[in-house]
Amino acid sequence: MTEKVLQKENWSSFVQALADARELWLPVKEGPLHKFVPYSSEQETPVDLEGYANSSVPPKEAVFPQTETMFRYQTGDQEICPPEAIKERVLLGVRPCDARAMDLVDHVFQWDEDDTYYLDRRKKTALLGLACHEPFPNCFCTSLEGSPGSTQGLDVLMVDLGESYYLRAVTDRGKKILQSVESSLEEASEQGKQAEEIIKKAEGKIGRKVEAEDVPEKLAQLWEDPLWDRISRACLGCGTCTYLCPTCHCFDIQDEVEGYEGRRCRMWDSCMFGEYTLHASGHNPRPSRRERTRNRINHKYHYFVRKFDKIACVGCGRCITSCPVNIDILDILSRVKEAL
Amino acid sequence: MVDQAVIREKAKEIVSREDVKHLVGWRKGTFGYRVSPHWVETPEDAEKLIFSPLCSPNLTTYLTLEEKLPLPKGEEPDRRKTALLVKGCDSRAAVQLLTEQGIEKEQVLILGVPCRGVIDQRKLEEKFPEALGGVEAEWDGDKIRLRFPEGEKEIAREELLAGNCLNCRYPNPVWAEEILGDEVEPWSDGKAPGVEELEKASPDDRWAFWEKEFSRCLRCYSCRNVCPMCYCEDCILDRLNPTWVYRSVNYSENTAFHIARAFHLVGRCVGCGECERVCPAGIPLGKLNQKMVEEVRDKYGFEAGTDPESLPFQASYDPQDQEDFIL
Repeated sequence: MTEKVLQKENWSSFVQALADARELWLPVKEGPLHKFVPYSSEQETPVDLEGYANSSVPPKEAVFPQTETMFRYQTGDQEICPPEAIKERVLLGVRPCDARAMDLVDHVFQWDEDDTYYLDRRKKTALLGLACHEPFPNCFCTSLEGSPGSTQGLDVLMVDLGESYYLRAVTDRGKKILQSVESSLEEASEQGKQAEEIIKKAEGKIGRKVEAEDVPEKLAQLWEDPLWDRISRACLGCGTCTYLCPTCHCFDIQDEVEGYEGRRCRMWDSCMFGEYTLHASGHNPRPSRRERTRNRINHKYHYFVRKFDKIACVGCGRCITSCPVNIDILDILSRVKEAL
Repeated sequence: MVDQAVIREKAKEIVSREDVKHLVGWRKGTFGYRVSPHWVETPEDAEKLIFSPLCSPNLTTYLTLEEKLPLPKGEEPDRRKTALLVKGCDSRAAVQLLTEQGIEKEQVLILGVPCRGVIDQRKLEEKFPEALGGVEAEWDGDKIRLRFPEGEKEIAREELLAGNCLNCRYPNPVWAEEILGDEVEPWSDGKAPGVEELEKASPDDRWAFWEKEFSRCLRCYSCRNVCPMCYCEDCILDRLNPTWVYRSVNYSENTAFHIARAFHLVGRCVGCGECERVCPAGIPLGKLNQKMVEEVRDKYGFEAGTDPESLPFQASYDPQDQEDFIL
């Protein structure tokens, strides 16, 4: 096991060393948003690894961009131009829940046909995780096999020890990354234990929970229950919950043409939108917010479980925090549990 | 000001009426300071109703949000009224909907609650991070009193109020079947803070300002969907043939979206501030819409949603109207 310590005074040489070898993505603050963006030494926005419980926009953007060019073409021409090749990259400061989310989404993009766009990005993306110190009031990862120090999906786990970071390689790739920036690191001694204690303490701070074991089965029985009318009537039908969800992965594919320049792109879609399952005939099998809300919950806690034997929710709490009308997935789950 | 008990009693009485389907009000949310829309169907449901400076949601949006699905053969549509609790700005939204025939008078029962302005959740979190752990709020003259589990704190009202409330001219509902509680004294001349600064900036600086803001947009459409005035069944943004606004999320398309929406709200925006409140990217949409509100008010003396008998702004014409913009 490779265990290292990074003194915070060596932070900038560490970041620079990472960025020299590959594309580096870091969380920055843009307005009230915390999001991951590619790092450049000239950038104005401050890198902020400590001022947030989690990024407001999940790092899924790095492997599943909101808008992605699949290929370019000239109208009337048979030739297509593939998109630019993706560079090896490393995401620094990913929270454990978001790394677990990527692990879950991997199932979707390779269960029948391999989605080369996604898998290429995913294979080239290393995740340097940062354990949580102060979970957000809506975090509930511990209910879903997660933890503030979970290493699932990560290549390296970092733990903030105050004056320094403790770093532990989880995968071979992580080991290699740590080797490549060795000059800014020191060997760890007792810090591993200290890190474990910090993680344990953070676990104790998680205030919200759900016992989700029986939820998939109950959801199957509640298909036509009037519960869904009550749950969905406050819903505005916006895409906030799905766009900020680290496991939501629906997309739409469209051609965008300007003059003779065309490109086929795919972009995030949301099952909360009215046009999401709208057929060419005008028929929509999910004609109202009732069916759409029901789909969002069922997809995560029922269909995904049936298909991949895992719940497609990691308990990051973003959908709860950001919903404009306080639709709370934990409240929905408890109502589902009570309904039968 | 109005006592919560009065609202609850009134709600019980209203939902017991045969011609009322339900009443929409506010209740305490599931965490921190959040408030949730609340549907009262039975007198017992009314016990959860609250009214406080945290009750930002403009509930009139629910009048048009309900999908009207085809009914099974022989089934009659439910024609009972929807009762709503409205603040001053919310009531203007109801009036605007009425004048542009977005709703029918018989369909609604409006109960007004005078309001001293609601709290901007971002200001609250910034000044009192502990609010995420739970807080209740109430107005106390020119102050807002916050009740945390650990004790009470007081803060001057203007330090916490949402931007649109700071320049609110209609804190009292302008149209309601009944107004619950005493009216409050208006406090503003309607000039929005921040708009004047932008007006004074050079066009290049203004452009740079909006470029930065719009680039952040996630295109979740929460601003459009929460807006009581955005109720087109076939929105220009959802159109695919022709596609007026591409789905690509970038500065150019995002700008097209926001400018299209701002223009569609000219003379219709009632300044309830919901678009700005719900934006996860914190884009100051209020400034954009408020600029249009001020233009329409200064040039044509029209304020949306203030007179149930008026014609909608863009459907009215006065020979004295300014024409200097026509080339």
